[in-house]
Amino acid sequence: MVVGDISTGTEVLVIGAGPGGYVAAIRAAQKGLDTTLVEKDAYGGACLNRGCIPSKALITASGLAHEAGTAEDMGIHADPAVDLSRMMEWKRGVVDRLTGGVEKLCKANGVNLIEGTARFVDDHTVRVAHGGDGQGSESIEFEHAIVATGSRPVEIPGFDFAEDHVWSSEAALAAESVPDRLVVVGGGYIGMELATVYAKLDAEVTVVEMLEDILDPYEDDVKRVVRDRAEELGIEFRFGEGAAGWSEAGDGGHLVHTETEAGEESSYPADRVLVAVGREPVTGGLDLENAGVETTERGFIETDDRTRSAVDHVHAVGDVSGEPMLAHAASKEGIVAAETIAGEPAALDQQAIPAAVFTDPEIGTVGMTEADAAEAGFDVAVGEMPFRASGRAMTTGHTDGFVRIVADADEGFVLGAQVVGPEASELIAEVGLAIELGATLEDVAATVHTHPTLSEAVMEAAENAQGQAIHTLNR
Amino acid sequence: MTVEEFRLPDVGEGVAEGELVAWLVEPGDRVEEDQPVAEVETDKALVEVPSSYDGVVEELFVAEGEVVPVGDVIISFRVDGDEKSIDADEADGPDGEPVVKDADEVDSGAADSTTKRAFAPPSVRRLARELGVDLGAVAGSGPGGRVSERDVREHAETTGSGNGAVDADDGNSSGPRPVDVGSDERRSAVKKRDSGAGSDGRASTSGPEPADRDRTLATPATRKFARELGVDVDEVPTDETREGEAFVHEDHVRAYVEASTGVKAGTDAATGTESGVGGSDVGVETDPTPADPATDAPTSTADTVSADADVADGSEAGSVDGDAAGDADGTAAETIPYRGVRRTIGERMERSKFTAPHVTHHDTAEVDDLVAARERLKPKATEAGVTLTYLPFVMKAVLAGLREYPILNSELREEEEEIVLKEEYHFGVAVATDAGLMVPVIENVDEKGLFELAAEVSDLAERARDRSITPAELRGGTFTLTNFGAIGGEYATPIINYPETAVLGLGAIEKRPVVRERSGEDGFLGDDASHEVVPASTLPLSLSIDHRVVDGAVAARFANVVMDHLEDPLLLLNE
Repeated sequence: MVVGDISTGTEVLVIGAGPGGYVAAIRAAQKGLDTTLVEKDAYGGACLNRGCIPSKALITASGLAHEAGTAEDMGIHADPAVDLSRMMEWKRGVVDRLTGGVEKLCKANGVNLIEGTARFVDDHTVRVAHGGDGQGSESIEFEHAIVATGSRPVEIPGFDFAEDHVWSSEAALAAESVPDRLVVVGGGYIGMELATVYAKLDAEVTVVEMLEDILDPYEDDVKRVVRDRAEELGIEFRFGEGAAGWSEAGDGGHLVHTETEAGEESSYPADRVLVAVGREPVTGGLDLENAGVETTERGFIETDDRTRSAVDHVHAVGDVSGEPMLAHAASKEGIVAAETIAGEPAALDQQAIPAAVFTDPEIGTVGMTEADAAEAGFDVAVGEMPFRASGRAMTTGHTDGFVRIVADADEGFVLGAQVVGPEASELIAEVGLAIELGATLEDVAATVHTHPTLSEAVMEAAENAQGQAIHTLNR
Repeated sequence: MTVEEFRLPDVGEGVAEGELVAWLVEPGDRVEEDQPVAEVETDKALVEVPSSYDGVVEELFVAEGEVVPVGDVIISFRVDGDEKSIDADEADGPDGEPVVKDADEVDSGAADSTTKRAFAPPSVRRLARELGVDLGAVAGSGPGGRVSERDVREHAETTGSGNGAVDADDGNSSGPRPVDVGSDERRSAVKKRDSGAGSDGRASTSGPEPADRDRTLATPATRKFARELGVDVDEVPTDETREGEAFVHEDHVRAYVEASTGVKAGTDAATGTESGVGGSDVGVETDPTPADPATDAPTSTADTVSADADVADGSEAGSVDGDAAGDADGTAAETIPYRGVRRTIGERMERSKFTAPHVTHHDTAEVDDLVAARERLKPKATEAGVTLTYLPFVMKAVLAGLREYPILNSELREEEEEIVLKEEYHFGVAVATDAGLMVPVIENVDEKGLFELAAEVSDLAERARDRSITPAELRGGTFTLTNFGAIGGEYATPIINYPETAVLGLGAIEKRPVVRERSGEDGFLGDDASHEVVPASTLPLSLSIDHRVVDGAVAARFANVVMDHLEDPLLLLNE
């Protein structure tokens, strides 16, 4: 035994304190299991520290600045001055409160917290190295492990995140100044959210995307609303081009070089280039093979519907266990993992996992699209309510977008919804509830919704699907 | 060689479950395709279920007397060769259809209920996992078939969760997989925490040899049950397997503990949760002979017990429930399963009586001439090989009435807001059978002669009694006759065979006193003296109508027409 290597035992060992891991740890402790949570960096994981929360803080702040400066129609004349460092400080304050809260919750629930980096020694032991060299390590014997190590932004050849002018999404959320010219590589949801933030903070933004449109998985009419608005904000799009590299430009800035599939090259001047082409699982360095757990080619851990890996007592939750890489999916998986270990009949049997994109306007989706439902063999009923027909939407000054609800035509069961428009991320929750409860179009339509609110659009869409909408023409 | 599972096919229109009355094969038997393997009683008829495979019976998953939802696995076959290794779901096609005569009317869409998306809220889905219930097989009572918590509980109770365990392991991704409680260390820790009575006592007696498996399949409820008794499921001997893995259910655990300790460990009630939840493994719910009050008691209290136990999870609920069982010992009453034909009758009656406002019109026909007519025709009928009862005459008289008042040969369709006057005259005839009331239908009464009707009635009645009648022969009536008088009685208030509009009940034809005008006298004697009471053959009639569709006056006029034809059978020549 190495000096400073002490050995302890635990019933449940959770590796990673993100929204999958800390939720799993708290629930396991609630179930009376002796639980140890190992985190190498910061409680709350990427979500709280480098993802969801900081990005939403900046989206709100930049949106507010932009709104204030563009509200002449409402009789407001202003030219807001943005102090980015103060904005970042405020953002950090939010993050700190939340991460501090997570730590307190873990402790209050009796979770043992250990800081360090865990590696599997065998299928019942990890060694946790504390901090840097010489700070010692300890072995922990566990009966069950939950791997919740999350994901990190993917690098692409030619763009090293170590370079000052090459940003990962995480660096873009901690910027010291607003670049004059920003090239965003990748038109997925992270790229689009951050492109919007910097466009609203008056950067000249160019989005370079290999595909022919932004936001790949979404339906065309949904994308269209976001893209139109982005173009209105001055964001330039270059589709069909892949980022190939960069070079120094004479003016102290850089040139981002792109290439089409056919080999045509272009270059765009930039002060910063944000690479947002996806996230990859963090499984390297865990020595999972010592526990008998294999990863896929891309590094994910495959799990069953009770979050178990091929080794029954080793679970994996969150981004590390594959799509959907969403914080709320991770939390659900964490709960199922803990309850499964506690011997309860938990399983990932939710009908739908909602997703939100915080672009301008927002996108919220849950369950099936019209095409999904048809493919699944349903006779599909679809209803829509455009926000331009919503009184409340008009009073917010944002009438782009629509609510679309998808249902089974025979029995009326709600199967899914796509919302693009103001507060879409909030509106989608109602439809998620409807899907989980097996509610029908009539249930949604007959539920009285507050006037004047955006949520009325959900009710109207349900009515429209039944051919009974009041405020839109029924199709 | 592959093992193929066979699910209970859809055995008739709208039939969601059937009682497995008898197995016709045993494990190890060689069967040929289409050979009947089981008799299943639905709420409509008794049908034989044929095998879809050539092969050897591997396992029977359902006990005789158990009620099985359509789509549940009932039997598996070891099939030779590849050509027959069709997917179990495909087996629900034409091959899987039951032997009923109107095969064309059988819904061959069959048992895809298990693959259909089940609409149920998360709390209900969790309960289904807990009880080992396949949600797809549960008939939801909510709008559009949405499944409620009660539906799941009832399903678990009527099927017994032995089925659930099968479903759980047949690859259904939403079903539960047995929870492996974990490493050896953990198991020993769990044992230490438990009372110790089970494990210690067992160790010191010469019980059965503990099995020593590394891995055991069991439902979570069984594992919990085992934990409560301090038993390691890996040690419990079992001869059952699922997917090649040893499978343990509560019976095994209990038997093992009892054999090991000599103590009747874990009475049913001591594990209240299990009785209500997974514990229907025990089979008490489906035992058709509720002879043992000790095992029977929890059945009736299962709901409340499990509800309490859920709340009190982790407390020493065992002893409390044990007392409850003691109380129940002496008071267990005989219970009769409310299922199959009995329940169908109940549901139909409930629907009719609570939907259609009934009015019953009573009158009496004087049928001396009818009695004479039948006497005259009887020898002819006998020659023709037919037993001539009064029923064919009554059918013809009713036919006359319906022709004049077609509103009584109708159906109210509430949703369409219309009353459909039927063009056919298909008469249901109520038949008392050992299993309960059945109503076979004689079609096109207007096109058939008296003898023909007589022959058909007796044929259908007989086949209703021996249960060989087909579902199609019980459908499609437009008007119903019930001859309760065959057993005795004068008047009744028959319940309409919904959605028909009217039903005519016939009392016994007997000599009864009737008042007639004194013949050969003139009117000088006054009212009383001008009439006399004489014996006459009378037929009491009880006509119930759906008052939504037709009013009492029309019913009375209809009855008058029927009576005219019964009192003067010559009029029947016209029909």
